Amino acid sequence: MQILLFLVKVLIFPGALFTACVGLFLAGIDRKVIAHMQKRIGPPIRQPMYDFFKLMGKETIVPARANKLVFLGAPIAGFISLAIVMLFIPIFGFTAFSGTADLIVILYFLTIGGVALIVGGSSSGSPYAGIGISREMVTMMSYELPFVLVLLSVARKVGGSTLAFSMNQIADYQAANGSLLFSWSMIPAAIALLLIIPAEVGMQPFDVAEAETEICEGPLIEYSGAALGMFKLNTAMKMCIMTGLFTSLFLGGIRTGTVVCDAIIFVAVCAVVTLVCITTIHAVTARLKIEHLFKFYWTVVSGLALASLILVWMGL
Amino acid sequence: MFKKLIDKSASKSPWLYHINSGSCNGCDIELVACLTPRYDAERFGFKLAGSPRHADIVVISGPVTSQSRDRLVRTIAQVPEPKCVVTIGSCPQSGNVFKGSYSVEAPVENFVHVDVAVAGCTPKPEAIMEGLYTAALILKKKREAMHK
Repeated sequence: MQILLFLVKVLIFPGALFTACVGLFLAGIDRKVIAHMQKRIGPPIRQPMYDFFKLMGKETIVPARANKLVFLGAPIAGFISLAIVMLFIPIFGFTAFSGTADLIVILYFLTIGGVALIVGGSSSGSPYAGIGISREMVTMMSYELPFVLVLLSVARKVGGSTLAFSMNQIADYQAANGSLLFSWSMIPAAIALLLIIPAEVGMQPFDVAEAETEICEGPLIEYSGAALGMFKLNTAMKMCIMTGLFTSLFLGGIRTGTVVCDAIIFVAVCAVVTLVCITTIHAVTARLKIEHLFKFYWTVVSGLALASLILVWMGL
Repeated sequence: MFKKLIDKSASKSPWLYHINSGSCNGCDIELVACLTPRYDAERFGFKLAGSPRHADIVVISGPVTSQSRDRLVRTIAQVPEPKCVVTIGSCPQSGNVFKGSYSVEAPVENFVHVDVAVAGCTPKPEAIMEGLYTAALILKKKREAMHK
């Protein structure tokens, strides 16, 4: 019974199926709103779902120079790690899985999602993929530092000198003391996390690794059919996970009592966060160069996160 | 289980890959005009893809010069099934004003299978949209034929 419940958690509710559906829904909202911002009608909200199923029905070509096992295994490894991350993110009152160091586990599993892209791209043997993965690595290095600082400041704020890395503890703290976004020492950290989300998901100003018009989607260039569909799904799932992480770290504390209501409010809040940090920034900016991206994250965003950390450490 | 959904999706999300085989750039501009807010091809799910591996519909413009012929054939061979080929303008169909030139090898039908041909010099964006939409419907038929 316990195993069955665990499987349901991994495969359906907050795991793979839920994350994938919400992610595709958020990606659809993103495309629709951007179209409206550009005075277009835009694709229907279920367009990413059509894209995914179309790619599932296409022929999957493995290039002659590629290592077949790594080439096809990378998107699946990314999918599994991202499905597991969602187990650790509480949906307001509901947590599927909670330990003492959830934040660290989330950090590592999110990295696996990015590493899958790098490994898959490098196994394809295309020079465009080579440029793409080198950029992806630099992007990961640039946003990991402020990301860790943000997580540290949240842990310090919630747990005091013992540092709370448990998502459950963070959710309980917010239920008792109100959302962390409304305590002013956490506002710089919240802004920093909002700026990290587009880089993690690979959206417009920070999509140097997958620059479509420049290096033809970089690591994904040789992918086709189902494997490409999995990577597109991974991107959508990352959208759900990152906005969900923001929601539970900074906007937690809502308790309706039933899981279904919690999940609906959770998805709605995720959609709002997507509109703020992904869609709006995407619509008003052009792509950065990789060195500018690196500089931006290590100065502005890290600075914001560090400011929050110092404020929290001083006990504010 | 998802067979029906996959078949339906085949016509709902056609990604384009554009090959210029010596075109004068007129048709290329009109193709881009289809994606602008005025015609907004994205409302049918059309999207320009950067790599032939991602494409469903290959759009050819230009009279197929001797230099571009082999590259054209090779690029189309890299597109995964089901795929459609659409030609834009009179050049790929007949050679248009370049007919008879020593370096022009039109019509393109001699080298690749063409599903939809949009004539005109240059065709209007409305005509291109109709051609692309017809190709999207053909994609669905090809997808259904794949699992028969």
